[in-house]
Amino acid sequence: MNEKGRKKILLSAGIIFVCLFCLAPFFWMFIISINERPDFLLQDGMSLTIGNFVEVIGIGNLHFLDYLKNSFVVASVTAISSAFIAALAAYAVSRISFPGRIILIISVLALSMFPQICLVGYLFKLMSGLGLINSYSALILPYISWSLPLALWLQTSYFSQIPTELDKAAQIDGANRLQTLLRVVLPIAVPGFLSTVMLLFMFSFNEFLFALMLTTNYTARTVPVGIAMFQGLHGELPWGYIMAASVISCIPVILIALAFQRRIIQGLTRGAIR
Amino acid sequence: MSRELKEAIIFIMPLVLFIASFILIPVLGTFWNSLWLDVPFVARKFVGLQSYFRLVSDEQFWQATLFTTTFALVSVLIEMIFGTIIALVLNERIRMRGLLRGIALIPWAIPSVIGARVWQLIYRYDYGIANWVLQKIGLASVNWFGSPLGSFAALVLADVWRTTPFVAIIILAGLQTVRGDVLEQAQVDGANMFQRFFKITMPMIKPIIIVALLFRTIDALRVFDLVYVLTGGGPGGATTSISLYGYKFFLLGDFGYGSTVSVILFILALVLAVLYIRIGKLRAS
Repeated sequence: MNEKGRKKILLSAGIIFVCLFCLAPFFWMFIISINERPDFLLQDGMSLTIGNFVEVIGIGNLHFLDYLKNSFVVASVTAISSAFIAALAAYAVSRISFPGRIILIISVLALSMFPQICLVGYLFKLMSGLGLINSYSALILPYISWSLPLALWLQTSYFSQIPTELDKAAQIDGANRLQTLLRVVLPIAVPGFLSTVMLLFMFSFNEFLFALMLTTNYTARTVPVGIAMFQGLHGELPWGYIMAASVISCIPVILIALAFQRRIIQGLTRGAIR
Repeated sequence: MSRELKEAIIFIMPLVLFIASFILIPVLGTFWNSLWLDVPFVARKFVGLQSYFRLVSDEQFWQATLFTTTFALVSVLIEMIFGTIIALVLNERIRMRGLLRGIALIPWAIPSVIGARVWQLIYRYDYGIANWVLQKIGLASVNWFGSPLGSFAALVLADVWRTTPFVAIIILAGLQTVRGDVLEQAQVDGANMFQRFFKITMPMIKPIIIVALLFRTIDALRVFDLVYVLTGGGPGGATTSISLYGYKFFLLGDFGYGSTVSVILFILALVLAVLYIRIGKLRAS
């Protein structure tokens, strides 16, 4: 067989492998979520139902809708605030020449490599002291800070692709720096800004350790903690509920991943490429 | 102070304030707390480096360190190999490449806790599909979470599933910088695809592989979510990561010793981060 043929076979095998490898656990998650019993492998066969979905949403004591709402609020507020705060800084870094720019970016990026465990003990005491445990602020404030490095990194690279002539024209027309950012740079960088927001939303939506430490019940608890803590009444884990909740919770992030895959990949790799 | 500098400071201030309040001060606070005896029902007392001495003779801590570093090494190694293979696939001109890349992003995009829950179910001894498959192909069921080795393997596999796509995407970016004409010339000169990969592509993407390697190692060293859900650190503490070990002390209200454990992880990550920045600087210059 010639090389082209061999390559084609290897490639097809590779594609099938990637799909199976990535999706098989999801398939399983879905199967369990629509089955009456999680142990159907030992039974005669499947008995399909949407009961798990109806119940995990409908049973108030499970608080799944509360977790979902909390996650959406926390992740949206975090993503938008963080992207905006980072846009300000990214504007300065990409447009104003001041000493220490590079050091600023590099050291901010280094911060994102700190292990979260080095913060949570202190944050717990801090938030307890402020009476914020179990509030949205207890999550949003650390989340914003935690996501700023990535947001700064992404937006600096988007902004530096926009020619500075546009800014100068605006400034000649009498616009100050903030006006230039809001009216000239950001409108051009909307796709970049949006994908930054989406990526930050994903990170905040998925975060676990902070949320585990800083919330105590459904008033602020987010989906990951909720799903990690689902307990059955009689000890056995309610797998049907857990998987139904998982399927629902995965939908928004999967949609984001699919819709923004090009930009997410660009964003994630731009830093690494440089 | 020049006007430029003033403006720059105003624009950067919010970012700096947030990062200082909720990252820098907490980290410094953790260092400071590690020097105190800080447990419930006892007056807070400065004890200097006493907790660090306790750490040295704390076997469970060493077990956690051994587990964490082994876990990081093994899973990152596997992820780099698989990640490179997947990146090579995704780099080809194939139909529906966008969709395929989107699919590759999914395991990484969903909450790690959810991934861990699904794997927990897959690994179940009695009705998990992993053992069902093993039985169907004539092998014996494995009690995954019953033995340290089984738990370790279960964790590595779940982590490999979750983060290989991420590695693949980073490496993919590197592959896209490899010039097609060089590869074509090599093909004309009679190099087969393996020779082309190892002789041309590999050296060109080496820097990015190193970046991905360090990035992932730092990330793997702080593993928490996966261990918390999948094994809870068991059996018998065999899969307790440093993060989980520290967390358990925080949970008990022992903020002094929990901080000490965290500081060690911080130092481990810092060493790697410094390495990362040095490589970054080298490449920038």
